[in-house]
Amino acid sequence: MKMLTCSQLSNFLAGFSDKIVKQFMLLLLFGSVSFCAHAENQGMQKTITNSQGTSLKWLPASALPSFITEVKRPTWINNAADWYQKKSVQGDLQIHGFIGQSYIVTSHNDVFGNSDKGGSFGLTEAGLNASFRPLPKLLVSAQVLSRRAGEGNSGMPRLDFAFLDYRLYSHEANQFGIRAGRLKNPFGFYNDTRDVPFTRPSILLPQSIYFDRTRNLALSGDSVQMYGDFSHPKWGTFSTQLGFLFPIVNDRDTRTSILEGLGGNLTREVSYIGRGIYETNDKRIRLAVSGIWLNANYVPTATEQLSSGALQFSPIYFSAQYNAERWSLTSEYAIRHFAFSGFNNQKLDGTNFYGESYYVQGEYRFTPKWEGFVRYDALFTDRSDKSGKQWASENNKTGQEHSRYAKDITVGLRWNVTPEFMLRAEYHHVIGTGWLSGLDNPDRTQTNKVWDLFAIQGSYRF
Amino acid sequence: MNPHSFSYFVRITFIYYCLSTYRFFAYRTLLTFFLLTASQAFAVNHYEVVINKSVGESNISANSLRSVFSMHLKTWPDGTKIRVFVLADDDPLHQIFSKEKLNVFPYQLRSTWDRLVFSGTGQAPIKVNSIEEMFEKIISTPGAIGYLWRANINENVNVLTIK
Repeated sequence: MKMLTCSQLSNFLAGFSDKIVKQFMLLLLFGSVSFCAHAENQGMQKTITNSQGTSLKWLPASALPSFITEVKRPTWINNAADWYQKKSVQGDLQIHGFIGQSYIVTSHNDVFGNSDKGGSFGLTEAGLNASFRPLPKLLVSAQVLSRRAGEGNSGMPRLDFAFLDYRLYSHEANQFGIRAGRLKNPFGFYNDTRDVPFTRPSILLPQSIYFDRTRNLALSGDSVQMYGDFSHPKWGTFSTQLGFLFPIVNDRDTRTSILEGLGGNLTREVSYIGRGIYETNDKRIRLAVSGIWLNANYVPTATEQLSSGALQFSPIYFSAQYNAERWSLTSEYAIRHFAFSGFNNQKLDGTNFYGESYYVQGEYRFTPKWEGFVRYDALFTDRSDKSGKQWASENNKTGQEHSRYAKDITVGLRWNVTPEFMLRAEYHHVIGTGWLSGLDNPDRTQTNKVWDLFAIQGSYRF
Repeated sequence: MNPHSFSYFVRITFIYYCLSTYRFFAYRTLLTFFLLTASQAFAVNHYEVVINKSVGESNISANSLRSVFSMHLKTWPDGTKIRVFVLADDDPLHQIFSKEKLNVFPYQLRSTWDRLVFSGTGQAPIKVNSIEEMFEKIISTPGAIGYLWRANINENVNVLTIK
């Protein structure tokens, strides 16, 4: 009797799972994201325990009589589903994701929420991505990202990337291909994956290079890129990505930080991006040069006495890294050209300066589970006026010189509890407020020049 | 027995004892050395890169192998999909394999894969939880590549020689 119940239950479960699998498969076939490959593969092997403690095996659909699994459906859908079932192999569809929660306390000034008054849990990052290889040379991938960080990011999920990648040429270790869609902007070592706690060295990336306040502008864009990997058995690998893009400019934090005091809107223009990375074969030495030529137009409001002007932001980044078994040394340098033109306003049109940023960072892996790092990070909004004095006197902002630079010394510790779960803590001592978000600190006169930041973070991924 | 001969006897026995102990130590040291070198020679060659029987390749260059495990090279020369299987980052076989065959540290592979997965520009290798599972997957997955201890290799998989 007990046996009978079990087998009936197992049939029901298997039939049920198969139904779900088929439905998901159809979803996928019609252009949506699905979890079927995983559901299917795991479903086959998963052993569950029912209330009597007997274990049941989930059966593959093929092991069941057809009247249980067959659902009336047009033949072509069934054919498509069967075709997919035959073709799909584990790993062709992959689903990955992550979530991270941080707690931040600052001595003065606010970072991601009211961190000054007793700390805040203001930084939450989560992402879910799927990638699928329908053909050997074609890869389709997409990621949805949610980021809750102070006033600038509400946590509203946004499409981070979604594109097609087609491999045009592949011979031994040399590859060449094209990507089109919404793509991550390839610059520096970390921009492509800056929202994934596991892939970055610290809770806050070096803010001089990876500004969080203009992050959405820098993060990804609607783009077409060519890429190539050229590998030599002795000398190493040279990888390059080149493309044009329409940047994402309709974002509050970007507008506030670029258009201080202006009320109009930004529209996007064709922009260009490129990066070349050289790696030795043992990946000990990594060198990169990246550059962006970012264009946007400003559309003034009716009341503003301005013409629609053009903004041009063209940073160049130099990156270098050395990796040993226990330690890594990383440094990046950026020179950022910023120019406004065509506003028909003397002061705005005169905006033409070079910013400068760099950091040096040492990481040490005590054990595979415990890692530590030390970093010095410096930002100068205008390299010809590093102290900000000239800017303050010209703009009548005496006392706010420190908003034009930031020097940050950071130490941190990371504990990889399991490969999927990580905890870490870091301490920053900062002189200057150059990278503070204007949205989180609306009154600049209330910010302090010398301040400290302590943060802890827990993160999970799969 | 006079006291002298007794003392000689004791001395000789003692010398013999010493010799035997010395010999024991000497042999043991020799044996240890032998075992060490033997195990080292064994360590270099006691695992192989294995592929599914459907793959029509018998050798691969070290450079291409690195490219496969870095998830950049995605197709076999005949155009079919390469499917990469790996053990956990801290698995001894994975560590030996990455250091000896690929000449990179496991943490570097991990960060390469993470960069691909979270920028969407590539996929991660498929992680298996045991040698047995690795074997099963290599047998059952078309285009599969992985690594196995020699002891676990039989005629159901093909071994790939590195040029």
